[in-house]
Amino acid sequence: MLYLDHLVVKQFEGRRWTLPAQVYAAPLELYAGLPVTLPELEHELQRLHYRRADRPDHPGTYHLAGERVELALRPARFADETRPAQRLTITAGAKAIESLSDGTGQEVPVLRLEPLLIGSIFPIHGEDRIVLSPDEVPPLLPQALKAVEDRKFDTHHGVDPSAMLRAAWVNMRAGQIEQGGSTLTQQLVRSYFLSSRQTLSRKLREAVMAMALDAHFTKADLMNAYINEIFLAQDGDRAIHGFGLASQFYFGKPLSELELSELSLLVAVVRGPSYYDPRRHPERALARRNLVLKQMAEQGVISTADATAATHRPLGVTARPAGAYYPAYLDFVRRTLRRDYHEQDLTEAGLRIYTSLEPRAQDEAERALEHELARLDRQHKNHKEALEGAVVITSPQSGDVIAIVGGRDVGYDGFDRALDAHRSMGSLVKPFIYLTALESGRYNATTVVQDAPVDVKLANDKHWTPENFTHEVYGPVPVVRALAESLNLATVGVGLDLGLPKVADTLQRFGLPQPPVQVPAMLLGAVEVTPIEAAQLFNGLANGGFRNPLRAVRTVISADGKPLKAFPLEVTQVASPEVMYQLDRMLVLVMDHGTGRSAHALLPPQLVVAGKSGTSSDFRDSWFAGFSGSHLVVVWVGYDDNQPTGFTGSAGALPVWTRIMAGLGTSSWNAPMPESLVEVHIEYPTGLRAVPSCAADIVTVAVPADAAVPARPGCGLPEGASSTSAGLIDRVQQWLRSVVH
Amino acid sequence: MRPASADIIPRMHSRSLFTAFIAAVLLAGCTLFRGPPPPPPGPGGGESQGGTAQPGTAQPGNAQPAAPAPGTAAPNVPAAPTPAPAPAPRQFHLGSATSALVTQAHQQAASGDTAQAAATLERALRIEPDNPLVWIELGRVRLAENNPAQANAMGRKALALATGDPGAQSSAWHLIADALRARGDNGGAAEADRRAASLAPQ
Repeated sequence: MLYLDHLVVKQFEGRRWTLPAQVYAAPLELYAGLPVTLPELEHELQRLHYRRADRPDHPGTYHLAGERVELALRPARFADETRPAQRLTITAGAKAIESLSDGTGQEVPVLRLEPLLIGSIFPIHGEDRIVLSPDEVPPLLPQALKAVEDRKFDTHHGVDPSAMLRAAWVNMRAGQIEQGGSTLTQQLVRSYFLSSRQTLSRKLREAVMAMALDAHFTKADLMNAYINEIFLAQDGDRAIHGFGLASQFYFGKPLSELELSELSLLVAVVRGPSYYDPRRHPERALARRNLVLKQMAEQGVISTADATAATHRPLGVTARPAGAYYPAYLDFVRRTLRRDYHEQDLTEAGLRIYTSLEPRAQDEAERALEHELARLDRQHKNHKEALEGAVVITSPQSGDVIAIVGGRDVGYDGFDRALDAHRSMGSLVKPFIYLTALESGRYNATTVVQDAPVDVKLANDKHWTPENFTHEVYGPVPVVRALAESLNLATVGVGLDLGLPKVADTLQRFGLPQPPVQVPAMLLGAVEVTPIEAAQLFNGLANGGFRNPLRAVRTVISADGKPLKAFPLEVTQVASPEVMYQLDRMLVLVMDHGTGRSAHALLPPQLVVAGKSGTSSDFRDSWFAGFSGSHLVVVWVGYDDNQPTGFTGSAGALPVWTRIMAGLGTSSWNAPMPESLVEVHIEYPTGLRAVPSCAADIVTVAVPADAAVPARPGCGLPEGASSTSAGLIDRVQQWLRSVVH
Repeated sequence: MRPASADIIPRMHSRSLFTAFIAAVLLAGCTLFRGPPPPPPGPGGGESQGGTAQPGTAQPGNAQPAAPAPGTAAPNVPAAPTPAPAPAPRQFHLGSATSALVTQAHQQAASGDTAQAAATLERALRIEPDNPLVWIELGRVRLAENNPAQANAMGRKALALATGDPGAQSSAWHLIADALRARGDNGGAAEADRRAASLAPQ
């Protein structure tokens, strides 16, 4: 007895729930000029489970009045700031937010919505919970629990003999243990200290311990412990404990915002979270909820009228549990943090982790992948396996990873292709070869290279004789065309001329983690990368030759609000702006003229994007990596068993990429041209300087101002002259002519 | 959700070129530009500006002169001879949201909390990632944190974005000079200072 007393008091006093780390998405920054429409804004509010109301008096509600959104913001905790609940008025224009003002009409320059909770890092087979302090618990909840579970809670000494006798009578008649008759205190003891086996000795221990608890602690303390401790749902490996998390799990909103009918449902579920699971057994859950409402009315906790009204409300649970539904992203977060934290810190220490996930981009990527893979599968009915895919989206300038999709079954927490599928990068390697070529100073976009048969004798006396995808040979072609059409022979020729070590060095500078095996096939992408690694490489191209380590985690905050670790923005210049600009302009032409051109049918007509398709040997991997001014999207499509897909990058991954880009609301690639470069118009097939009056297929490229670009004969341009030779007068005349005709 | 700025720029077709050119001039005249409005496009017209692709401060409030999108000039655009004339001078400034955040960061840095200041500037950068002034601010905080390597890199990043804005270019070179000095590279710092001085407004 004494021992039990000691144990209970000691453990309960030192109680510290293990608190899994809570992971948050990036908050949406609101400011005048943010290009978001009223319906999009409302969608974002609903994602955070804000409710429409006639008068937005309670945090978590909003009211629409014409162009205005009256918003009652919830209190919010950010990595760097805790903000109380406040009023905000948003005035929306046709395409963008026009103004923001607070409750007093004062203009607000910028304000964040609270970050969406996207999951938690809980131990394997472990408990997940959000701990609430007494002031965060609506007063109705303890009253309801007492009315339904333990009517004498306020007066008994930890056990309720009358309830136990009643239960014993029921059990005796049934010949087995059917009813508990346990007080809230006993339930707490059972959950906190004991296994759930129903034996007599255990019941005795439980009763003794409950009495000990009752003697040493206040009722309020015990009630608060109960509210945070009790088991309320099972979600795969995750056990949902406490009303705080259960409210998020079933309704997607904080406990303080629950309506009577919703709160009653949680109280109903206490009796048997699996038996009364409102998602799986809605009828049972509804019947029990209505019983709870009836009991609450009988006990005078609520009025009969309120009970009746609540009885007619639907269950109101969200279709799927909130949180933990971005498993691939959480996987990346977990791996990032494992470098600095022990598993135990993550699963027990109550950390708050602020990430860069943008739910809107993530949803867009998931939908696009699912939609396009289903379409591609229909084209390949004879293949027994379903196609798989992965997507990574970044904000190039910050290196923020804003979305990760690890496979088409997005809710599945299993093989994460975005992080773990090591696949040949195929033609995604080509931009890095041409970047190396531009850096050598011996090549520019107009330089003519030979697309001619290649025969390399390898160390093992075998011969390597690659071919173009079309099995044709194109002869002399300008660099811009070799890249736009992804010509293998021309590229191998350039790569061999530069030397494999140079190309390998470029790849490593841009972030390839391991040195590539330096064989000639490397020039056609016999380099294995994961989609996230491909994103790291291309992020440097999208960010003007600056490499930033891709990051999912921005900040880690301790349970008591102290910043523990930040992953600050870091940039390293790995290529000159001049070289990068020339290359990026060629990658724009891939989209306008080359293997990416089918994208424009779906994209907004003026949107400037740059990209590169990738197809590995035998069509086993279909890649597309490309960027706008504000987003880099990398898509991989293939079979898990590495069978050929029959798709090129343009046929498999590009439609996914395009659908995502079209849905992101992105801005044009728009880097400024360095002052040492000039634009030159060339004939696409030949690379010769030309004007539309004398040639059909003209493209614009950027070259160094001193580059010599020969002119096409018969175009009236000074032949063989450098691109800078045209005088001002000529230019004025030509421009006038062009405007007039 | 990122500000769309230059993607509202029309593709230039020969027939619409002249109208677009006039529109660009008018637009340039009524934008929120501080300082002198940019001169009208050079003889290359809208086309010649294609390459320099005036990137806005990505704040939609800060309208920029319309410029054709890069890489989309051909084939319908009449080929003006190259080279493009020097890019129109421009002047970056901070949008109101970014400006508020930069002010907040200054206060945080002044009270010694450089980590908070950097976090606030990162918020500003997410709103205007193409604005060299924000990169320079962040580089200054890195310098205060005794991280001259990142200060230098952010100066370089700002420099790449600041093409056409001598004032911003000069500030970027000043940052680079200070970063190099902090690393003990006095020669490099002097050269960067010289570049900064040559670009500074007279």
